[in-house]
Amino acid sequence: MEPSTIKIDYTHRQAGHCESGTTSNLFQFYGVDISEPMAFGVGNGLYFTYIPFLKIQYAPMISFRNIPNTVFRRGSKRLGANATVIKKFKTPKESMDALDRNLEKGIPTGMQVGVFNLPFFPPEYRMHYNMHNLVIYGKENNHYLVSDTVMEKPQVINYDDLVRVRWVKGAFAPKGKMYWIERVNKEIDFKKAVSDAIAKTVYEMIKIPIPLLGTKGMRFMAKDLRKWPKKHGREKAAFYLGQILRMSEEVGSGGAGFRFIYGAFLKEVGEKFNNQTLTEASEMMGKAANKWREFAYIGARNCKSRSDEPVEDYGKLADMLTEISYMEEAIYKKLDKLSL
Amino acid sequence: MAEEKFDYQYKDPEHGKYRELFYSFDQEGNYNKKVRFHDDADKAFIEQFWDFQIDRIEEARQKVLSGEKSPLYYFMEKTLRDPMTLSSQVGISVWRVKRHFRPNVFKRLSEKTLGKYAETFEVTIEELKKLD
Repeated sequence: MEPSTIKIDYTHRQAGHCESGTTSNLFQFYGVDISEPMAFGVGNGLYFTYIPFLKIQYAPMISFRNIPNTVFRRGSKRLGANATVIKKFKTPKESMDALDRNLEKGIPTGMQVGVFNLPFFPPEYRMHYNMHNLVIYGKENNHYLVSDTVMEKPQVINYDDLVRVRWVKGAFAPKGKMYWIERVNKEIDFKKAVSDAIAKTVYEMIKIPIPLLGTKGMRFMAKDLRKWPKKHGREKAAFYLGQILRMSEEVGSGGAGFRFIYGAFLKEVGEKFNNQTLTEASEMMGKAANKWREFAYIGARNCKSRSDEPVEDYGKLADMLTEISYMEEAIYKKLDKLSL
Repeated sequence: MAEEKFDYQYKDPEHGKYRELFYSFDQEGNYNKKVRFHDDADKAFIEQFWDFQIDRIEEARQKVLSGEKSPLYYFMEKTLRDPMTLSSQVGISVWRVKRHFRPNVFKRLSEKTLGKYAETFEVTIEELKKLD
């Protein structure tokens, strides 16, 4: 029988976004100082998509981040780390045994879980969301030590609960998916990593010719937003609006739909390479993020009151959104010309 | 740093107890991190979301009591699912799930199908057939 208590010397740090926080913490465990914004930026976290015909919890789907596991996968690749992602487990038992083996080897292991049955999670976020990330860094008898970057302090979870959240069914079911870093490269070619990552983000935000993605998606949403009160009535329009804002300000986004984190990344690399373009872009991103925040504050007034007349005009909100989309577009166009 | 005062009144006493990390951008062009409770705007969306859910659950209960919908419908709303989520978790197509919300269709469901639903909702088949 193996020892029942394992505790890896892993430092839990709270973060704005679950996946980039997890990635950053894992890198720091191996002695490479990668901040959360850095992990987020290099891993192409930033995104925008609006899919009106796909309803999540009765509201149109909107996302400010890339699909799950992108940040870890692309981030660790660009930063030259040997990382493993396993997503092919047949049974829960197999996935838990693999986790135990990792812990015995002293490897803190990240995994994708569902939020709904996570016992320590803030109850206001209780929903069927299967793309949350956390790190298991130890085991005491039947309990696992959890570093969840949404929480201020490390948590514990028992075996059965962990199996439940790792094997939750539904859209984006994790199926026990787990990932970890095996070896890091101490001499990272940051220049290449950053310029590749930025080029990819620029591509994803302005160059994909699909109207629902990137800055075009924002304008598409603005157009719809204008029509909501007439089309769906005041209550539903307010609910849809509230959902957009909840996605941008809450749900582990660090505020303004990850725009603050990305701006912090641009600033960090701007200072690192002493690059004027990046510093200016970071300033512009900060302003755009503050505009998102303002949009949220004004929009929130419509969510609060249940009167028949909306407090704020939806046309005005749509104009604001369009303005933000052009502000962001200017940033990506600037970054497109970047040479490091 | 002084402990931040927490003085919001949430409708659900379990809400708003956790501090989260938020980023911000200030006038001098610096990015800052701060661990804080929700602010007024955040609170507005959270409350709106839960108001909406609670209304839906109550509405669903009434619909089941009046015989308009099957108890499945209530269980779905109660566990914060929508037909798509339920369908993907039970492994039955959305179209069929929606059909099972009709009381007369629900009555004829096989034990096997009921078992699938019961497993997803974590209740027994007997509990599934009546409202709690």
